[in-house]
Formats: sequence, C-alpha cells, structure tokens
Amino acid sequence: MSNVILFNLTTVLFGVASALYLGALYAKNEKIAVAGTWVCILAAVVSTAALGVRWYESYQMGIGRIPVTNLYESLVFFAWSVNLFYLIVERKYRNRTFGAFVMPIAFFTMVFAVYNDSSIQPLVPALQSYWLHAHVITCFVGYAGFAVSAGVAIMYLLKARQEEAKISEGVVGLLPPCKTLDELVYRAIIWGFPFLTVGIITGAAWANYAWGTYWSWDPKETWSLIIWLIYAAFLHARVTRGWHGRRAAILSLVGFLATIFCYLGVNLVLSGLHSYGGG
Amino acid sequence: MADEKRAASPMDRVWNFFISVKLAIITLIVLAVTSILGTIIEQNQPPEKYHKIYEDWAFTLLDRLNMFDMYHSVWFLLMLVLFTVNLSCCTIDRFPKMLKVVRNPRTKLDENLEKTLSLSDRWKKKGTLPEWTGKYAEALSASFVKPRVTEADGQVHLYAETGVASRFGVYVTHLSIIIIFIGAIVGNVLGFKGYVNIPEGESVAQVPVRGGSRMQDLGFTVRCNAFSLETYPSGQPKAYKSDLSVIDGGRETLRKTIVVNDPLQYKGIWFYQSSYGQAGGATAQVAVTRQDGTPVGALALAPNEPVPIDGYGIVRGVNYDQNFQGNGPALQVAVEKPGKPAASFWLLQARPDLDRQRADSLIFSFGGLSAKMFTGLQVAKDPGVNIVWLGCALMVIGLIMAFFLSHQRVWVRLAQGTDGRVEVVLAGAASRNRLAFEKRFEKLQTGVKAVGQ
Repeated sequence: MSNVILFNLTTVLFGVASALYLGALYAKNEKIAVAGTWVCILAAVVSTAALGVRWYESYQMGIGRIPVTNLYESLVFFAWSVNLFYLIVERKYRNRTFGAFVMPIAFFTMVFAVYNDSSIQPLVPALQSYWLHAHVITCFVGYAGFAVSAGVAIMYLLKARQEEAKISEGVVGLLPPCKTLDELVYRAIIWGFPFLTVGIITGAAWANYAWGTYWSWDPKETWSLIIWLIYAAFLHARVTRGWHGRRAAILSLVGFLATIFCYLGVNLVLSGLHSYGGG
Repeated sequence: MADEKRAASPMDRVWNFFISVKLAIITLIVLAVTSILGTIIEQNQPPEKYHKIYEDWAFTLLDRLNMFDMYHSVWFLLMLVLFTVNLSCCTIDRFPKMLKVVRNPRTKLDENLEKTLSLSDRWKKKGTLPEWTGKYAEALSASFVKPRVTEADGQVHLYAETGVASRFGVYVTHLSIIIIFIGAIVGNVLGFKGYVNIPEGESVAQVPVRGGSRMQDLGFTVRCNAFSLETYPSGQPKAYKSDLSVIDGGRETLRKTIVVNDPLQYKGIWFYQSSYGQAGGATAQVAVTRQDGTPVGALALAPNEPVPIDGYGIVRGVNYDQNFQGNGPALQVAVEKPGKPAASFWLLQARPDLDRQRADSLIFSFGGLSAKMFTGLQVAKDPGVNIVWLGCALMVIGLIMAFFLSHQRVWVRLAQGTDGRVEVVLAGAASRNRLAFEKRFEKLQTGVKAVGQ
C-alpha cells in the first residue's frame, strides 16, 4: 500500500522535525529551527498526500470512503491536525520554540499508529453516513487544539519556574515570555472548545439519525462531555475568576489527559457504541 | 463582594450563592468527575451480570446509590437542576447590567476611566479644538469606526466601538443550554422510544416501550415485506436492508427500504434499522410439477410439519443433510397417500430432475433451505428534538460570538490647553484577545498621531 509508505515517511519527518526543534533549543541555533519548520511543511505535504492516496486506494478496492474510520486512520489524522495547527501557531506567534514541545506529540502519535493495523477495511453499516465526515473532522481539530494547549502549558510551567528563580539562561531562557505562553494556552483552547462542541453536536445528530437517540450516555459520549465540562470550567475560571498562569496550565494538562482517555482509553478499556474505533 | 455580604439578608445570601461563578465551576467539575463513574460501572445491565462482578455488599451499596443507572438517578438529575438554576440566576443577575452598559456606553473619557485603561497616549497639537475634532473623527472613521462626538465642560470626547455582540455571546451560550434541556424534557414527556422485531411478511400496530411494560399504539401499521443482508466479498456485513410498508386507513401509504443511517419516518414516528435475525426454523423450498412439466406449486416445508396437496396426499420434510453421500445438500421427504403405505425418499438440490425416477404423478425438486428473517427496529418519537437542535445551533453561534468577536473601544479626548495648544488623549480597551488589540491600537496610534502632519 503506497499510502502506508507515505505515512511511514511522515513518521520519520515528524521525528526529524522534533529532533531539529529540540536541537535548536540546545544549540541555541535559530537556523536549525528554521530547518525544522521546512521539515514540518514537507511533512504536511507528504501526510496530506498520504491521506489522499489512502482515500483513492479505498475507491480502487471498491469500498471508497474517507480515511478516518479506524484507530490507525484516526491517529494519523490527529497527527496531521496537530502538525497543521502547530504550523499556524508558529506563523502567527513567530516563535519556533513551540515545535520542541508540540511536534513530539505528533511524532509519538505516528509511532503508535505504526504499531496498529494499517489495512483498509470496508465500512460497517453503522459508519456509512455523511455525518461521519463532519463528526470526525471537528472532533479531531478540537483534540489538536487541546494538544497544542497542553504542549504550551508544559512550556509555561518550565518557564514560570525559571522566572520565579530569576534565571534567564539555558534552554528554557529561549522560550517565549510567560505572558505569551499563558495567552497561547488559553487561545488554543478557545479554538479547540468550539470544534469539540460542534463535534459533540454532529455526533448527537448522527446518533439520532442512526439510532433515534441523540444522547444515550455511552462511555464515549460521556467522556466527550467530561472533556467539555473540564474546558468549560477552565474558561469560566479564566475569564471570570482570573485563573492565569500555573493553575490554568495545570487545568489544560488535566483536560488533555481526559482527551487522550476519551480518544484511546474508552476504546481500549471500556466498551460501548464506539467499539469500532478500537480496531 | 465582602462588603455586600455583611449586610445581606438570608434571601440575599441564597441569591448570592446561586449567582456565583465559583458555584458554576464547582458544579462543572463535580459533574465531570461523577460522570466518570458511570463509564466505569456498566450501566443498565441485568442484575445477574452485576452479581457476577460485585460482592453482595458492594452490589447493595451501588444499587442503593442508583449507580447502575446513575445518569437517570435523582441525585444526578438534582445536580443538573442545580447547574441550570445557577446558570439561570447568573444570567438574570448579569444580563440586565450588561444591557445597561451596552445601551449607555461611557462615551466620555474622564480621569477615572483613563486610569483603568492600560492602552493610552497623549500629545499636543497647535490649532483649534473644532479643527482637530474634525480631523480625528475622520481618522477614526477611516481606520476604526465612525465615532460619537460628545462635548462637555469645554472638552470634546470621541468614542468608537466595534464587536458589541461579543458581550452577548456568553448569554446566548447559556440560553442555548437551557433550550437543550427544555428540548430533552419535552422529548421525555411527550415522546417515546421503543424496539420491535417484525418477521418478514408480518405487521405491527403497537410497539413495546423501552424500559417499561407499556405498549405504544402507532396509529397505523408497519409491515416488513422483506429483510436482506448484503456482505462484502470478505464476508463482512455491508448493508442491512428492510423493505417496509406503512398501512394507514386500510391502504399502503408509504413504502421504503431502510438501511442503517437511513430511517423511515411517518407521522412523526421514526423507524431505524437496528438488528435482525432468523424468525423461527428454516423451511425447505420444494417445487412441485406434473410429469408433463406443468408447475403445480411451491411448498415451504418446516421440519416435520405436514403439508397437504389436494388430490395427492400429505408431504413432510423429515430430514436434511448438508452433504448427502457426497452429493451436496439434500432433503428427505415423506409422502403419505390415502390407503397406501408412507414412502420416503431423498431429493438432491443439485439434481432437480432426480425425482422422475420415482414415476409418481407429481415430481418434487428441492430448491434449498430458506430462513424466514425478522428485522429489529428502533422506534422513536421525539417532539423535543428540534428544540434540541435549535439549542445546539444557538450554542455554536454563542461560542463564536464569545470567542471570536471582541468588544473594542477607542476614546479620544480633546481639550484646549493653557498654552493655546490642543491637548489630545487617545485610549483604548478590548474585552478579549488583548494582545491582538494591542497591535491594532499601536497601528491606530501611529495613524491618528500622524494626522495633519
């Protein structure tokens, strides 16, 4: 399968990009980070092509469908979203140090994907719906926003500790100021949150069209609600009670851990209507 | 806050409790944490299953706490009620204040306001007050928004704002949650959910309601004409299809083949393809012809069920072999004719002409086994669902208003200075995304300052 070869190449590129960003931090060399950006752009092109090729190959097998329907494909799509989201953030904030904290998330996601079954399987009847596209894409863009927020939250925690100690040397000294990091933790969530909301709503609409119930407290649904509640609490704490900095960063990390559990844990540990996502 | 509380009556205290955002945050977190429990303890399983997993004392405890159906338990619903009351009180408390602020914006940049604004700049210009008022009003119109001009105490104030709607985003979002809850309640009270199996060729006019013993009258009849299962070449299921007819007032008013993700709807009641199975045992298909080849009919023989043929006798299928003496599927048939001993013989599916050897008046040929299927349908009526969708749409609109719009305000104050020059103060504020507004303000600052130079 040529799509799998392209995805393997993407994995390597994400690994190279992560190494370059980390190397740039240690060597304090912006040129290495610039190379990292180009590798990310290349990875974006290769992974987009891989998704396209996989889509095309599914048609050639006579089971044409969007490539976001099992664990392998969703991991790949998640990594693709994180990379894209990251490139936008890098461009907007004109700072390449984020890469060292965000690109490893994409890299390890791809490494995990490689260990899963990458064959193209036909769609079971329950998944044959146009809602699939809107539901999966919005959910994963939301997840990607939360992943970026969590990566930046780690940067914030490192930087804040250093600022408290009034040191500005070393690797951490190169990170953007706390104020910027804190703002970005929040801004990544306000992009992720509406996408998650639309993801939950499209899921409910689809469930209603497939089973006649828009909400049935299935573990996946419940966990998506749990994430939604955590980030809703984050937003209220931040906007009305002035939760900034450390507490906000920790809450963002808690939210992302819950997101990972909703995405992977529910399929691997619990049983329910979304069981096809675990295969 | 602390000062207000000191003189608060009990009523005020209750009110203050319900309008606090702290309560909202705590409720959100508690809802999130308790919701986890219901995903770990499988919900709505038969008691036997729970007894296998839990010790007796644990079962009793969990059962008392309604942990086996926790999302419908009184305590969970009470938390949702608390959440809704909190949400409503916050809105009732804050919305009128917000409306007042928006309707009567502070168009004058007085000293007090100026102190609270982090973005400000001041400079002096030679010239007259009206001259510069005109120039700056024009500059703001060009690079921001047309300002309102207020004159007071010999000073001129210019005030311009955009994105007022962002102030309402939070209320639209909160309202949307209440609307979704109303929709859910309407659906629960006025609607029903049921499940029914219909064997091929049969009809139902009533369906059993889920979670109860009640039967729900449909007000019409639904017939399953046929069920079929399609598979991919690999054998994985591709489609479950039920050919359904709606019979209302004695005639067929609608016919549709439904599949998963494509239900049938009639008079507000939806039928969803949900399950399927074999209805009763398989029957053997046997074609009957005369010696000259004219067809007499087709028999569907259930195991050992006698089927009479007029003027001939009684026929039964007594045995079936998947691979009879290496010749493939075969059916053993027993024939009883009046006044004659019963005869029994095998029919091979692969050789429909074999029975000619018997030289009887009728020839039987076995066409294979066929199972009568039933289709399993989810049946739902939910008059609240459109209210829920309305709430969902409002929620998305509200979130976009709240997160992606920003209420940006810019003031310019002009006063005739003692040295004959005009003193100018420029200040700005944004309700959110302040970093982006800082950049916009800097641009505006350079632009406005450069006017008339």
